[in-house]
Amino acid sequence: MSDPQLSLNSITKRFAHKVAVEDVSFTVEPGEIIGYLGPNGAGKTTTLRIALGLVKPDEGYVEIFGQPPGVSAFGRIGFLPEERGLYKKQTPRESIAHMARLNGMRATQAFTRADELLEKYGLGEAKRKKNKDLSKGMAQKVQLLAAIAHDPEFYILDEPFSGLDPVNQQILENMVREIANLNRTIIFTTHVMEHAERLCDRIILISQGRKIFDGSTREALDRAPRRLVVGSDDAGLTDTLTPFAMEIGTRKDGTLNITLKNGADAHDILESLVERKIKLKHFDPKPPTLHEAFVSMVGAGKSAKTEESLP
Amino acid sequence: MNLPGMNMRRVYLIARQDFLGYVKTWGFWISFILPFVFIALGVVLAEMDVNVEPLRYETILDETGEHRTGIEALARSERDEVVLRLINRLSDDIFIPEDDARAIGDRYRAEGEDGIRTYLTENNSALSRGLKIPAPKYVFVDPPANTLDGLLPFLRGERDIVFNSEAIQLNGVVHIHEKDGKIGVDHWSPNITNLNARDLVQRYFEVVSTEKYLDTGGLTLEGLRAAQSPNISIGSFDPTKEVTGETDSQEVTLSDRIPFIVALIMTIALWFTVFLGSYMLLTSVLEEKLGKLLEIMLASTRFSEIIFGKLLGVAALTITAMLPYIGLGAIAVVFSLVMGPPEITAGIASAFTPKLLVFFPVFLILGYVFYGAFLIALGALANSMQDAQTLTMPIALVLTACVGVPVVGFQTPDSPLITFAGWFPPSAPFASIMRLPLDPPWWELTLSAAFVLVCAMGVIWIAGRILSLGVLSGVGVKTVQVWFSRVILRRHLSA
Repeated sequence: MSDPQLSLNSITKRFAHKVAVEDVSFTVEPGEIIGYLGPNGAGKTTTLRIALGLVKPDEGYVEIFGQPPGVSAFGRIGFLPEERGLYKKQTPRESIAHMARLNGMRATQAFTRADELLEKYGLGEAKRKKNKDLSKGMAQKVQLLAAIAHDPEFYILDEPFSGLDPVNQQILENMVREIANLNRTIIFTTHVMEHAERLCDRIILISQGRKIFDGSTREALDRAPRRLVVGSDDAGLTDTLTPFAMEIGTRKDGTLNITLKNGADAHDILESLVERKIKLKHFDPKPPTLHEAFVSMVGAGKSAKTEESLP
Repeated sequence: MNLPGMNMRRVYLIARQDFLGYVKTWGFWISFILPFVFIALGVVLAEMDVNVEPLRYETILDETGEHRTGIEALARSERDEVVLRLINRLSDDIFIPEDDARAIGDRYRAEGEDGIRTYLTENNSALSRGLKIPAPKYVFVDPPANTLDGLLPFLRGERDIVFNSEAIQLNGVVHIHEKDGKIGVDHWSPNITNLNARDLVQRYFEVVSTEKYLDTGGLTLEGLRAAQSPNISIGSFDPTKEVTGETDSQEVTLSDRIPFIVALIMTIALWFTVFLGSYMLLTSVLEEKLGKLLEIMLASTRFSEIIFGKLLGVAALTITAMLPYIGLGAIAVVFSLVMGPPEITAGIASAFTPKLLVFFPVFLILGYVFYGAFLIALGALANSMQDAQTLTMPIALVLTACVGVPVVGFQTPDSPLITFAGWFPPSAPFASIMRLPLDPPWWELTLSAAFVLVCAMGVIWIAGRILSLGVLSGVGVKTVQVWFSRVILRRHLSA
């Protein structure tokens, strides 16, 4: 197994006595696509800045490409920060080439690459417009292209989908997929769970500065509460379901929305309902979503932290 | 070649971006060509003999019958003085050979302005085209009516007068009247801010009063003027001046004063460059901070590279912006050296000493880096142009106070204030240049530059820290206010 491209080891960072990141450790292996998820203010951006060496941790240490972050990583990383912009008076072509040159490309090569990328992603006609005249979606695409034009090994994308309409989100998702197909490494933060679910091999979840989950997307989905929607006119339905349910809610159409207890299984419930001869109108086991897993784990993480802080 | 901790290619790319960001704008080129436009406009106006101040037609209604001739004579005499002074000045400034100047003066006295033109056409055709005699501001014409009421319609533009076969409007009437033996003078004119004729009459009556007063003692005005004009000329000598030739002396000449004038001009140029460059840097950082451009650069660039790149880019930009002035200054110096009178040539040659040639660029760079790095840091803290104005106020005040250095230094370059300013880093660049004509020792200038260098490096280090905080942690004016309140004022915010 090759060396990790990024390794964070027991990182803690405080800002004016407020803990932003606490004892966070993880590694990013070559070729992985990692979703770094967490609610607002969880410490995602701080972690990425620490990873890049822009912010020094109070405790712990970071290695990127096996070395402390800094000059040795310049040109090997494509970084898209959460807050980003473009020089208003530059053209998209100039912006992309400028960043590519800062990352080590020669001028001719950088401009050729800028032209290629702009054509490929539908911005060919706008390449000589001033950035100030671009739409928000176009500008965000240019920002991403500027971050990736030098074809880095490792992509660090902070909220790449924020502010984009669904069409541009899909285009960006395709771009990320294309990069992944080139066997590059990607870590990105997002609030849109669907993107993470579709794109990531691995999920790292952070809440209140602490890592609360690190595993495959499948493992994350296993942490989501399982749900079942059942409908029947039989009066004994609720009594039959109660032993299996953590929570039972009634939907607008009269069907019941059941959150299953740990260990309960939809098959066992169906057997029990058949045994009691309850005539079913509706029986629909719902597949878990990353959103549910996220909400569940963040809720559990907060409770754990609150309990720890109690005297 | 890379400086420690810096990649010069990235520094160059950042400098290039800052330079081109401004140079590619229309505004920059408009400012760039503006001096040339003004010069061209001046030349065109001069060639076209355009007089921006129209000739005024005045008349004198003298009910006493005693003063009109005298006022008109004084007007002629003052006009003669203006023309002859111009001829003498041009002669001093090498444009007219001394013999020509004397002959022109004689012809002017004999034949008036036509005499000058005739002489030049006959003897110096080149000068005939170049010499522009300034037009008079006003002329006196005969009154077209004998009463004030009769003249008022001419002033109101209801009627015209005829002068040199042209119909023109009368601009003013000097009304001299007498009542109970007391003379009164009024000036009537619709051009209420144009007081040239009124002031002439005022001067005339001052002369008349003086003459009357002198007459009581049997004295004359000519006698008074002769007594007032000194019969002796006071020579200025400098005992420290080195005498190099047999004909040379320790007398102070224009040549000895020129180095002080050059130092003054260079100090002002230095101040202006530092001011212009620093504020361009502030704008540049602010644009990048508000445009959220800095963080994306930080994955591939060091803070130090960003700061030095900006300093270099804006320095190149400032020099480019000042090129017209540098060029015009250089032309003036070369022209004076090649074609100027020996006194000026010697003065300029002695002003550009090795010390000036070494320390002017040194202090220019240090002053720019010192103030520029400060404004980079403050630009990184600001979240709007208003914030930037608030934050830069102390620096702006210090820089403005430094304007006092050339002002005081020109009169008294040995002032203790200038000596102190030469050791105080924020003012040292300006004060050191101002002191150069006094020939301070090399070690003093070097040590002063070293102080500024150390301070500038400190400022760059602080600027890097502040830039990092401003860009990555969102530290801004509010944070500075809270810090000031807590740490300096020791006020603890209630929980």
